[in-house]
Amino acid sequence: MITTAPKTAADAVGQLKQISSVVPVAAIVLGSGVSVLDDLHDARVISYQELFGLAPGVAGHSGTLTIGHTEDGPMVAVLRGRFHLYEGYDWPTVTLAARAIVEWGVPNLLLTNAAGGLNLEYSVGDLMVLTGYRDHLNPQLKTTGLLPAIKIPPTDCRNSLSEKLLEVGEKLTLGSKEKSLQQGVYAGLLGPCYETMAEIEMLRRLKADAVGMSTVPEMLSCDGSATTAAAVSVITNVWRPEEAMGGHEEVLTASKNASKRLDRLFRAVLTELGKA
Amino acid sequence: MKLRYAKRIDFTSSYPDFEHFEQFNQKVIELIRDKEKAEVVIVIDRAYGLAPKHEGAHLLSDHLNLSGDNPLVGPNDAIGQRFPVVNNIYLSAADTINQEETWTMGNPLSKLRSGIAAGVKPGLRLNDEELALAYSMGAHFYNWNTVPTMIAAAHAGLKVLAIAVPEGEQLSDAVVMTIRR
Repeated sequence: MITTAPKTAADAVGQLKQISSVVPVAAIVLGSGVSVLDDLHDARVISYQELFGLAPGVAGHSGTLTIGHTEDGPMVAVLRGRFHLYEGYDWPTVTLAARAIVEWGVPNLLLTNAAGGLNLEYSVGDLMVLTGYRDHLNPQLKTTGLLPAIKIPPTDCRNSLSEKLLEVGEKLTLGSKEKSLQQGVYAGLLGPCYETMAEIEMLRRLKADAVGMSTVPEMLSCDGSATTAAAVSVITNVWRPEEAMGGHEEVLTASKNASKRLDRLFRAVLTELGKA
Repeated sequence: MKLRYAKRIDFTSSYPDFEHFEQFNQKVIELIRDKEKAEVVIVIDRAYGLAPKHEGAHLLSDHLNLSGDNPLVGPNDAIGQRFPVVNNIYLSAADTINQEETWTMGNPLSKLRSGIAAGVKPGLRLNDEELALAYSMGAHFYNWNTVPTMIAAAHAGLKVLAIAVPEGEQLSDAVVMTIRR
């Protein structure tokens, strides 16, 4: 059963303009269990149900959009939760929030996700800035299968915003015990089951560093628009043959624990974006 | 885990004690999810495009889902978790040894080679280039129905004994007897 959101991006933008006459400098989409910018000033909150006509149904996603500003920082929109293909939503619904952000004229979109670590040098809690992604979840692949997607190299998604994340992240870790940001390739898979070990090995052969079930549709929605999109994966586990694979609870716990670092990073990046 | 509590699914129309399906569909999911007591699903499916040195029937040890689809897409059925872990679901021959009784003549399943299946869209035939790509990703052959069946079974909390039989071949009597027993 495929579900389509009853509202359009234009509907959502109409509502957002009523809430805020100022276009935020950035929008942030939070993935499973990721929690940042909980204390925005002059915050106005609208539910996804009201904005898009649908509420996300996955644990760890509250389904609200908050507009406000950080202390001394610019206006930002924080979207808590997203719609996924594995839930049975169609592509227009999965990309609805990102398309609304683009249509609203928000210049920067920061995406987050909880991802399984493929790169064996990663640790739980690492933050990985996406330098590329693999699209293994596009509904077009239902017709062709995954082999055509496997044949092509990852899409390079480095841009001024991802560079800004890395630059600010580097400054924050200088002189601290905090680990530097990772950078790597994210493989977006349909889900909803986690990968088999054979699939993990395949993704490693394809030079993917992390794997998840989101983000790629939103990145693609910003292509060719005035909105620059960048993404950060929270590494919630690292799959090794000798270790049992955890489930969604493990993902939520790891996301929560990494949120503090991500919060610091985003606040610093927003301050920089506000100066621009 | 008792093999005697097994749901038996055959996609090759060859084995009389099995439920026969032409291809994976909603009815397979319903069979897997019905309340009949079971701990294991035994699946027999065709194997295509076997890699060199991988002739004959195989026990699946793992899979690559290359179909671009997943039977669990949509609202989650309460029988299982939203995000099922699908590792260690396939049973090996060794897993079956102590299930029922000691095999008096050895375990015929242990004579089957084990391999990794690439699950592709039903009806899709891979050309040589695609086969080479599938092999390079770790697959030893491909099939059409086992992967979605395994995912549905894993979601329902069942283990899977999956056998892939090349076109034009049959399982040996010993293997069939083992499954029946």
